[in-house]
Amino acid sequence: MSVCLQAESIDVAAEYARLVGDTPGAAVATFTGYVRDHTDQQVVTELALEHYPEMAQKVLDELGRSAAQRFQLSQWRIVHRYGVLRVSETIVGVGAVADHRGDAMSACEFMMDSLKTDAPFWKREQGPAGEQWVASRDSDNQRRARWQLGETQ
Amino acid sequence: MSITIKLFSALREALGESEFELDLVEIEHAPNELDVAVIKAALSKRGAAWRDALNQPNLVHALNHKVVFTDALVAEGDELAFFPPMTGG
Repeated sequence: MSVCLQAESIDVAAEYARLVGDTPGAAVATFTGYVRDHTDQQVVTELALEHYPEMAQKVLDELGRSAAQRFQLSQWRIVHRYGVLRVSETIVGVGAVADHRGDAMSACEFMMDSLKTDAPFWKREQGPAGEQWVASRDSDNQRRARWQLGETQ
Repeated sequence: MSITIKLFSALREALGESEFELDLVEIEHAPNELDVAVIKAALSKRGAAWRDALNQPNLVHALNHKVVFTDALVAEGDELAFFPPMTGG
């Protein structure tokens, strides 16, 4: 039940082992996000992630606790990177352990949809065409809003 | 009598500052009405770049690490951050 902000790559196997521990629940779900080599508009060669450390820690802690309460999780973990990332490197990982698969999977989706719009990180993409800050997406805001409206359990 | 101002992402780049102390004594305001809007108005007087950056319609304000509206009251020692919409994940 913890958050980690780190510059180094995410060790997915180690994170999984830490999440599951010695006594796994009945259902374990995880999500790992990686740097894409393109956007809708351009080729991407590198991604710089700026963050607001104190606020990011606080927001992600609250998000994990909220997910645990909402989906009856026995364990959860959120790992988010910052700094300069290359294509195909890990960016973010979330994991949830619950009694039922629906709760575990929904918790991961809830944590991802929420952190995209609520956690203070900003992406700057670099490619052959130059550098630019990534704009927030309406689709991300809409996915976030679903959870607020209670449309999804 | 000061607060800490933090700027991130495109705002930090546009204004060339990431963090500074703002002396509240210099800011004119009615008693008990020192809110985020008053701070924004005071900083906007620093020039066109500040005015443009702080009056973007989608600007986010975080007071002591929590997103707030512009009517949130500000007190000595607070940390007030301004930044564009977040793009984590």
